[in-house]
Amino acid sequence: MNGAHDLGGMHGLGSIDAEPNEPVFHEEWERRMFGLFIATFAGGHFNVDEFRHAIERMDPAHYLESPYYEHWLHSCETLLVESGAISRKELDARVAKLEKEAK
Amino acid sequence: MPVLKADMVETLVKTGASCRADAKVAPRFRCGERIVVRNINPLHHTRLPRYVRGKRGTVERDRGVFVFPDTNAHGQGHKAQHVYSVRFTGRELWGPQASERDILYLDLWDDYMDPV
Repeated sequence: MNGAHDLGGMHGLGSIDAEPNEPVFHEEWERRMFGLFIATFAGGHFNVDEFRHAIERMDPAHYLESPYYEHWLHSCETLLVESGAISRKELDARVAKLEKEAK
Repeated sequence: MPVLKADMVETLVKTGASCRADAKVAPRFRCGERIVVRNINPLHHTRLPRYVRGKRGTVERDRGVFVFPDTNAHGQGHKAQHVYSVRFTGRELWGPQASERDILYLDLWDDYMDPV
């Protein structure tokens, strides 16, 4: 798939800055996302290639503007909805509830 | 459905899940052989970057047999095949303005390549 993820040879995206003493996770939600991935992967919900491809199927503008672990979250959500493990309605309801609590 | 158990976590986090396959499959290429990368533009998942399509390189190392991502991402089976470390010069990939010292190694599956 010739998508926005295939960045090799692209110009104008800025330098790659190595962060000294980079932590494993920058935010607590990234740690939780990693755990969610391990649990759903071990649970047999998808293989690694399906997981990568679901990232590639993200909206390209969103892909380029979102952090690494958000790509993982998007892939998990997409694949769990597609497999029927959760419904889009359940996911939307949960997000709406979290948004309300955060206000 | 399998469930993640506490004693599985350490191994999974440390090593991940290997895509190496047990299948006995004959290699299509040997080390030192010149290859040309197929110019394919599949709508499905692939691990073949655009910038290397149609380029020529040299097989440096046979890494063994692995699951083929292009089929495995779509429920079409493992199609296990050899993966090779293939050497490309910077000039082959990026043209005469690239440094003559630049070399890139890419891991490529059998189905991505043809003999020159």
